[in-house]
Amino acid sequence: MIRFILVQNRQGKTRLSKWYVPYDDEEKVRLRGEVHRLVAPRDQKHQSNFVEFKNHKIVYRRYAGLFFCVCVDANDNELAYLEAIHLFVEILGKSFMLSAYLTYLLADTDAFFDNVCELDLVFNFYKVYAILDEIFLAGEIEETSKDVVLSRLEELEKLE
Amino acid sequence: MAANMRGLTQFIADIRGARVRELEEKRINKEMANIRKKFKDGNLDGYQKKKYVAKIIFTYILGYKVDVGHMEAVNLISSTKYSEKQIGYLAVTLLMHENSDFLRLVVNSIRKDLDENNEINNCLALHAIANVGSSEMAEALSEDVHRLLISPTSQTFVKKKAALTLLRLYRKHPEVIPAAEWASRLVSIMDDQDLGVVICVTSLVMALAQDHLDAYAVCYTKAVDRLYRLIIQHEYSAAYAYYKVPSPWLQVKLLRLLQYYPPTEDPTLQKALQEVLQTIMNNSAEPSRNVQHNNAQHAVLFEAIGLAIHLDTNSPLVDTAAVLLARFISSKETNVRYLGLDTMAHLAARADSLDPLKKHQGTIILSLRDKDISVRRRALDLLYSMCDVDNSELIVGELLRYLKVADYALREEMVLKIAILTEKYASSYKWYVDTILQLISAAGDHVGDEVWYRVVQIITNTEDLQEYAARVVFEHLKAPAAHESLVKVGGYILGEYGHLIANESGYSPIEQFQALHSKSQFCVAATRSLLLSTYIKWVNVFPEIKPQLINIFERYRHVLDAELQQRACEFYALACRPDDDEMLQNICEEMPPFPPRVSGLMSQLNRKLGDTEDKRTWIHGGKEMNLERQLTKRKANKDAEAPVNESAPTSGTAETDGMMNSLAGLDLSASSRPESEAPRLNVGPSIDKWLNKLTYSAEGVLYEDVQLQIGVKSRYQGHLGQLAIYFGNKVSAPLTSFTSTVYVSDPEALSATFAKIPPNVLAPRTQSQQILHVECKKVFTSIPILTVSFLAGAHQSISIRLPITITKFFEGVKFGQADFFERWKLIGGPPRESQSVFPVVLDSTGHVDLARNRQVISGNHLEILEEIDSNSSNIVGAGVLHTSVDGKVGCLLRLEPNREAKLCRITVRSTSEDVAGEVRKLVESVLRAES
Repeated sequence: MIRFILVQNRQGKTRLSKWYVPYDDEEKVRLRGEVHRLVAPRDQKHQSNFVEFKNHKIVYRRYAGLFFCVCVDANDNELAYLEAIHLFVEILGKSFMLSAYLTYLLADTDAFFDNVCELDLVFNFYKVYAILDEIFLAGEIEETSKDVVLSRLEELEKLE
Repeated sequence: MAANMRGLTQFIADIRGARVRELEEKRINKEMANIRKKFKDGNLDGYQKKKYVAKIIFTYILGYKVDVGHMEAVNLISSTKYSEKQIGYLAVTLLMHENSDFLRLVVNSIRKDLDENNEINNCLALHAIANVGSSEMAEALSEDVHRLLISPTSQTFVKKKAALTLLRLYRKHPEVIPAAEWASRLVSIMDDQDLGVVICVTSLVMALAQDHLDAYAVCYTKAVDRLYRLIIQHEYSAAYAYYKVPSPWLQVKLLRLLQYYPPTEDPTLQKALQEVLQTIMNNSAEPSRNVQHNNAQHAVLFEAIGLAIHLDTNSPLVDTAAVLLARFISSKETNVRYLGLDTMAHLAARADSLDPLKKHQGTIILSLRDKDISVRRRALDLLYSMCDVDNSELIVGELLRYLKVADYALREEMVLKIAILTEKYASSYKWYVDTILQLISAAGDHVGDEVWYRVVQIITNTEDLQEYAARVVFEHLKAPAAHESLVKVGGYILGEYGHLIANESGYSPIEQFQALHSKSQFCVAATRSLLLSTYIKWVNVFPEIKPQLINIFERYRHVLDAELQQRACEFYALACRPDDDEMLQNICEEMPPFPPRVSGLMSQLNRKLGDTEDKRTWIHGGKEMNLERQLTKRKANKDAEAPVNESAPTSGTAETDGMMNSLAGLDLSASSRPESEAPRLNVGPSIDKWLNKLTYSAEGVLYEDVQLQIGVKSRYQGHLGQLAIYFGNKVSAPLTSFTSTVYVSDPEALSATFAKIPPNVLAPRTQSQQILHVECKKVFTSIPILTVSFLAGAHQSISIRLPITITKFFEGVKFGQADFFERWKLIGGPPRESQSVFPVVLDSTGHVDLARNRQVISGNHLEILEEIDSNSSNIVGAGVLHTSVDGKVGCLLRLEPNREAKLCRITVRSTSEDVAGEVRKLVESVLRAES
């Protein structure tokens, strides 16, 4: 089960945090810092995408300047969550292209990430949460089909 | 969600533009003051409220404390506009904690949204419950959530979200979910057409099944069936292929779910699983250049290997897997190396023989020096799991060497593991002592107290170790620097056993004293107290150094630490008593052995194991550890489920006893209460009549109602039989999630398996046929129960007995008169004879219904022997039961109807008393007149 999802930039600023177990505010601040210090210095090339974190583990992936981290149970399937991150990123990219909002801020050339950048996450934080709720719920994967999620988001976008 | 809020965008832009933290705070304070004022003035429209609450949320996300907007958020939830509702719900889930008072205010709004006939609102409400899920919500709303999940009118989005919301509620407040009661209904949704729904429900079922294995047992077949359809039959819509892999997440879930159950014994499922796992392994043989495809493929592969190991570590599949794993652990890709080592540790934890793994020992040891700490950890876990008596010296030696350079984060765990392995696989006492002391001196700070306690326990309890231990610990203490843990062990060991070596040169009392005392000044008070105790023991055994020891006590009498001071005073007084005083001697008696106790090391190591939502299916460590763990787990499970088991069957039995007189013969209650609970039978006069008829005929109707007809055709030969069961859908709608299972109370005596995994849809007005293979292994007395469940609007379930009785496995035999009576006498009377007298009905002409009697007897596969009984209305029969395990059992029968009394006497003799009784009951139950 996912305990939390964090999206942080290289400086450690958290751009998105979603908690599936209750932590109090101080704990959240501490965890953000710890995860950043654990993940950011890791070698992209020679180190795996998994790292033990307390009694759990962080599965993470870096897209351009952003680290997408999910904290899962020690016995969870690492690769399944690694690809879940990718699915989420692809959907973010596609849905912000749909909204055509702030796409002029394209900065990075990363293959999948050129349409969604840090600023999208900041300015559209409430949409990001809505997207998240379509892909993950209660700490589990909810929908794994990009098409299904995207057409659902499109439908929601049309609502007043 | 359409309109973007300009004010919000501006606010965010301003904050981003703030050059320093002070400016940012200033901007935020200004905004918050403004918002507070606006809220106070009131009269805001929905858009304004939404905008302000969004700003508050943003401020909160930045890490500022916010104390306004809760009420407005609650109001927004009741808005009719989606965009306002969404912001309202977002605020509630982000700003409010589980125990917040405001949550009470939202429960009603949430319920309203759940009940509304609007799936968008349903979903928002479900999100809120799934995200916050307080106990109050669980109690108030779990029924509503469940209703949304099972309602046939719910849309797929609602079903998905309801399933996961229920999962969240169950994890947090299991007591509000009647998990066992909902089992068959929830499992049936695993057959849903929509794979999104299937994955969510599978997550839910997986959590519930772990705690209620028996109630959810049907999910096993569903999971195998779904895997088969995904992987072998490629039955999925294109939307659910992820880089050409059919929903890897669903596959992973299903493969994991199967690991919570003991390996299936059903040959049909075994075959299907075998094919699935083999195909998964073959698929991964073709690596592609696409990262996503590879990852998805591997995610499934590693889970499949896990399942293969779980099913049977000796299978050819696991051999294949071992070859793959060996390749993975030297892969160029770090992720693959990591997972290879991890899965290999799983194999090591379960395998009967570690030999195939030992071939790769060198590579694994090298992995302790991998560039990635995550990989190093996995290597450590693997070495720990694959250690046994043969390689323990090598592995422990390597670990010790690596310990000196290992990451700080790893050391404590390493010390524990080394200590456990050293104790468990010690080949000699000498090696144990050498290694453990080397460990303590090398690891120093990372040696937890439980490690040296354990060393002391073992040495105290093992007499042969004591002298050697004293000598070695002394050598370690002579080194210029010794870690405090070592001083503690040294203090204890030399105090107790120093006298054993004191006569050898170089180990004299004064040398022991000097070696130990020279370390004392660097130690904390607790260690020094321990040393004082050592000294008082020495006063007793080493009178030659008494003056030095007394000197120390004297000095310590003036230290500030109360504990030390007290000890010193007491010991000083004790030491100064006259030489012939026995008190000192009594006090310093050698320590008695410790009572055997569980090593504290394991519990220390297992501390973190409980910290997962889904239970672990295996733990690091050897096969024994895993077996032991499974046993305790199973026991715990039993205990937990006991109350449920007690209440349900009693009611079930009462019903069967009371209402089923006609079949009283088939004594269900007497059959040993099986591990899993027998399904509750459907009852009705027709059901009994159908079954009755089928006990002596090979084909006919077994069940019929307005929707469904079930018919049976059967064929038996020796101990084997084959039933074709026909299911007919009589209505013009499909019966979905059509599931049939056969319950056998004693699988050791009778096995019944379907030839194929049956299709789960029964199309309108069609019939489907399923073949059931049965085998009689031993004499059995309770007959199997067929449970059919399906969705037709609501979820329905029918449980009826199958006409598989002991006599089906009979073959008639012919005897002459002399032979018959010889055998009859040989068997003799009770207990190998079973006899009863029961009322019968005469036929329409007022005579005994001879034809029917004959039909029943021969229908029960007994040969009717003519001319043995002179009375022509009597029937004499003989047959032999075929079983595959217990061989053949002969059986003789005599039926004597009496027309005048309208009674009939039946006598059955058999070499097995169970058979005699059972045959008597079967024949009687058919012939007995309804009273």
